[in-house]
Amino acid sequence: MVPLEYYLLLSSAIFCIGLFGILTRRNALYFLMSVELMMNAAILNLVAFSFHWGNLTGQTFALFAIALAAAEVAVGIGIILALYRNFGDIDVMEAATMRW
Amino acid sequence: MTDTSRGSRKPGVAAVALFGVLVAVILSSASGFGDPTGFPADESVVHNIGYALFDIELGEIASEGFLAAFLIIALALDVALDSAVYLAKQEDEGSVVSALTDGGRDIASTDSPGSVDASGTTDSQSAVDSDGGEP
Repeated sequence: MVPLEYYLLLSSAIFCIGLFGILTRRNALYFLMSVELMMNAAILNLVAFSFHWGNLTGQTFALFAIALAAAEVAVGIGIILALYRNFGDIDVMEAATMRW
Repeated sequence: MTDTSRGSRKPGVAAVALFGVLVAVILSSASGFGDPTGFPADESVVHNIGYALFDIELGEIASEGFLAAFLIIALALDVALDSAVYLAKQEDEGSVVSALTDGGRDIASTDSPGSVDASGTTDSQSAVDSDGGEP
């Protein structure tokens, strides 16, 4: 069996890659992908601890988190579409106000 | 996508530093986790997840019931679908154009280039109008 620490190290690496993307990129699509990376890191933790404790609650909860991630992407891409229509760009620094 | 989409890399140092902290914490507590329990080899994990999703008391692997969460997530997905369609809609001179259009033109009318639609304008003319140019 793979020790839990390996899962945690992989999860923290994926999380920090996502955080790096959020902190350094200005493209909204990169933002969305980075958020997905961070969310997948959290889901990996849920599955790893579920396996570690022999309880299925974590895996079931991970399924729900994946479903919510799909919903998040749908809304996120809709927002990016609206951003492009109204600003002509998907640079997140362009949208400095809540209305246009 | 392009170089203009890149911001400063300096804030990214915080992410690298956080990774270092996380690695130090995980490795320092590595001995405290112990051996993983795992799941019984003769039990189907997928079956048990299904039982947990619908709150059926047939599973052999310990879990909680998630029927209420299942229904709430179904509603949330429905709301997300509606909101995504709403955000994808485009208002063109006061009229809402649905997502099933091509740049404000009906998809059906794009099959025959130059055809005259119900308002008496051609496709090419509609395309100019939707781009904001002179008709």
